Amino acid sequence: MMSEAIALYRKPLKGVEKMSNECKKERHAKRSKSDMVNLIQNVDQKDDLKYNRRAFLKTAVGASMALGLSTVPFSVRAMMGLSEPDHERVEIAKLADLPEGDSVTFYYPTENDPALLIHTVNGDLVAYNSACTHLMCPVFYEKEEDVLLCPCHKGYFDVNNGHPVAGPPQRELPLIEIEVENGTVYAVGRQFRHG
Amino acid sequence: MGKKICWAVIFITIAVNVVMVQWTVEATLGREYSIVPIYSGISIVMVFIAFFTYLQWKKLEYSESHDE
Ligand code: FES
Repeated sequence: MMSEAIALYRKPLKGVEKMSNECKKERHAKRSKSDMVNLIQNVDQKDDLKYNRRAFLKTAVGASMALGLSTVPFSVRAMMGLSEPDHERVEIAKLADLPEGDSVTFYYPTENDPALLIHTVNGDLVAYNSACTHLMCPVFYEKEEDVLLCPCHKGYFDVNNGHPVAGPPQRELPLIEIEVENGTVYAVGRQFRHG
Repeated sequence: MGKKICWAVIFITIAVNVVMVQWTVEATLGREYSIVPIYSGISIVMVFIAFFTYLQWKKLEYSESHDE
């Protein structure tokens, strides 16, 4: 009985015989041809150790802290720049040179801040810094539609208050306060958030 | 505080911080200097919350008893 079992055990099965023949040739092959072994071949242990649930949470914590700390320089700058310097009074143009529907470019308060003085078709005088609040392209006055247009990404601003009406800009254009005296227009100040 | 709650808290801090960064930048560009430190302060609080929640999670995650 016992020896019978051993004999049965020893007797090579057909498939196994075939396999051992195959293996003889590729004994030193790096990769197995067995499907059962190859089942785990796409599992990269190194990646498993590196990109797992714990690492994900740690990265999330790092991202949250980095985002939070990135606001600090802004508030440092804000605290240093709390007092906006008083602006001087600057002559922009003679009213006679600016017919209705026309606009003129000037720089206020510094040489690096282009601004637009507009005599609207309705006869109002308004002035804004002309750098678009989206990505700083210059805006133009469109007298046909009585609107301020930024050609870069089709941003539209209301000419009466400088607020964005269409397109990507989210903030209003900085308003330049003006004064008219003896037919001359002066710039006297600037407001960032208005209306 | 369970591990799941730690996860939730950390992701909430990310969401809040993203919003705060956006608002801070907008306020800075709009020269609203009085409200920039407020947003920034909220961000810093969130940073501390995230960090201490992380420490708490770490304690649970790497402790011997696996009760989850
Ligand atoms: S820069 Fe003006 S719309 Fe983009």
